[in-house]
Amino acid sequence: MTEPVIEERAAVRLNEQYCSRCSICRSLCPFDAITKDAETGKTLLEIEKCQVCGICYSACPARAIGIINYDHDSLINYLESAKPEYDSQALVIMCKGSTPDLTEVERLFGVSTFIPLSVPCVGRIADEIFLTAISMGLSKVYVLACDEDYCRFDRGSPIAGRRILALNRLLEQLGYGRETITLKRSSLKVKVDRDLCISCGNCVFFCPYGAASLESPGGASFNLASCKGCGLCVVMCPAFALELEHWEKERISALIPRLLSEMKPPRILVFRCQWASFPPLDGKSSPNIRVIDLPCAGRVDAIHILDAFQKGVDGVLIAACSEEDCKQEKAGGQAQRLVAKLRERLSQIGFQDRLHFCSVAPRHYDEFDKELEQFSQRIRDISKKERA
Amino acid sequence: MIVTAPKPLDEVLDLITPYSHILIAGCDGCTQPPRGLREARTLSQLLELGGKLRGKAFTFKTTTTVKQCDSFLTASALKPQVDGIEAVLSLACGAGVQTVAELFPDLPVLPGQNSHFVGAEDREGGILEDRCAACGDCLLALTGGICPVTRCAKGLLNGACGGARNGKCEMDPEKDCAWELIFERLEKQGKLDRIRESRPPRNYQAKAWRLTP
Repeated sequence: MTEPVIEERAAVRLNEQYCSRCSICRSLCPFDAITKDAETGKTLLEIEKCQVCGICYSACPARAIGIINYDHDSLINYLESAKPEYDSQALVIMCKGSTPDLTEVERLFGVSTFIPLSVPCVGRIADEIFLTAISMGLSKVYVLACDEDYCRFDRGSPIAGRRILALNRLLEQLGYGRETITLKRSSLKVKVDRDLCISCGNCVFFCPYGAASLESPGGASFNLASCKGCGLCVVMCPAFALELEHWEKERISALIPRLLSEMKPPRILVFRCQWASFPPLDGKSSPNIRVIDLPCAGRVDAIHILDAFQKGVDGVLIAACSEEDCKQEKAGGQAQRLVAKLRERLSQIGFQDRLHFCSVAPRHYDEFDKELEQFSQRIRDISKKERA
Repeated sequence: MIVTAPKPLDEVLDLITPYSHILIAGCDGCTQPPRGLREARTLSQLLELGGKLRGKAFTFKTTTTVKQCDSFLTASALKPQVDGIEAVLSLACGAGVQTVAELFPDLPVLPGQNSHFVGAEDREGGILEDRCAACGDCLLALTGGICPVTRCAKGLLNGACGGARNGKCEMDPEKDCAWELIFERLEKQGKLDRIRESRPPRNYQAKAWRLTP
């Protein structure tokens, strides 16, 4: 990254005035982004290393750390407006990384109506959010975290587990009964249809985790304990024999016409890695733009990009993490190559300028918006030229 | 495996423009990467978009075959699908295209791929390389498992020619000299005496056009 760091754009900030130098944030940060200055003893935050998991924010006893989006106020605002909307006393807090479709959530927790709150990592939900929710009358709180070894932020899921254990004890002492907060873990993994497998071995080669193997006879086989749900094997499978839970081909395909019906031209569809940008909870979206969040840019599928163009989308933007930031062993880099290949083929029919790949990070909160604005301008220009 | 590359889309569009109802038939067999259902679907989407820009609407049906060069398997896979079809666009190698053409003599069968060679894949480097000329007279046992027919630019059976610089071929400085590779391999195996053996001219009669399986 050649651009100089502009402090104002940072999504996480440390206010030295409030910092008591207790070092809790430093001990919890999974990315070594927080250090202690050897000379002055001051706590330092290196934003370039930060992945915006929010664990430090949720743990700072002095409230010296500020964070953009999913902060205390916006979470509480969301709960206040969602409570009458969903008319429920149950709250389900889910990590984006393991959120299945909502009917599956119903089944997991046995609740029919609930307020859904999907966050980037449940490890960033502070004690006081749980307590405020309960005091607001949300008498049952469910938390769906990723399996510990599936956590994109390494320590987020274990921290959430410890926090909930301690809170439940406290709440029981206060007379709220046992297990006011229910924690479950899940992870979204690959599914294989061996009837469709042609034993080409693409999944074995592309899986960043060595989870795939090829059996002869029989075809592809997966060690699900190793699968981390990036979806790269799914898009590399030439036979449509693989699916990723919750991000099935048909589910994504069905989203496209639905989003398109809400849009006005020029229409821009974004396929975004859900770790590349953390949009505000109450974000208003332009009528020209809709976003489909994916578990990793590795799940970006040429089929869906072309589907969008066929259905009348004017431009498709792919937003991924950079290779260094990729939570999925550089699967995002493979996505970049896949998009470049598709662009090359689109250039043979004059469509190449309508597809763009960019890598962004949530550490600078406006990075994604800037890329989106640049691309929107390009698509507006193309549309104008076409009309003329 | 047979290594093929997709034909440029404008060329394919030219081929299919006289027709409206087209069956795209993939092949899961030995083409690399496999041009199966996914490639058939992707190509149908690209051609539909390209057709739109040319003011032409196509209707595509997509399917795949296990081994398109096997007439028995391909007949059973494609026969139920050709009703109302005006042309078949094949994603197989040349052998597959011709198999389909023989099975459906009344239908135009068009190639969607250019077939290049019988190759091996270096997945790490993302490269496919020519490895076998199917010459019918295999001499790999004499050359340390390195084929000079495909890998030597001059196809020499008795090398090296003396033109290599720093181990690279004088015809293509990107390519290793096959005979230097053979020398190194045989040296490693302690079989360098083999390089002194003179290999007679190739038996071109061994190139078979027809064999019984």
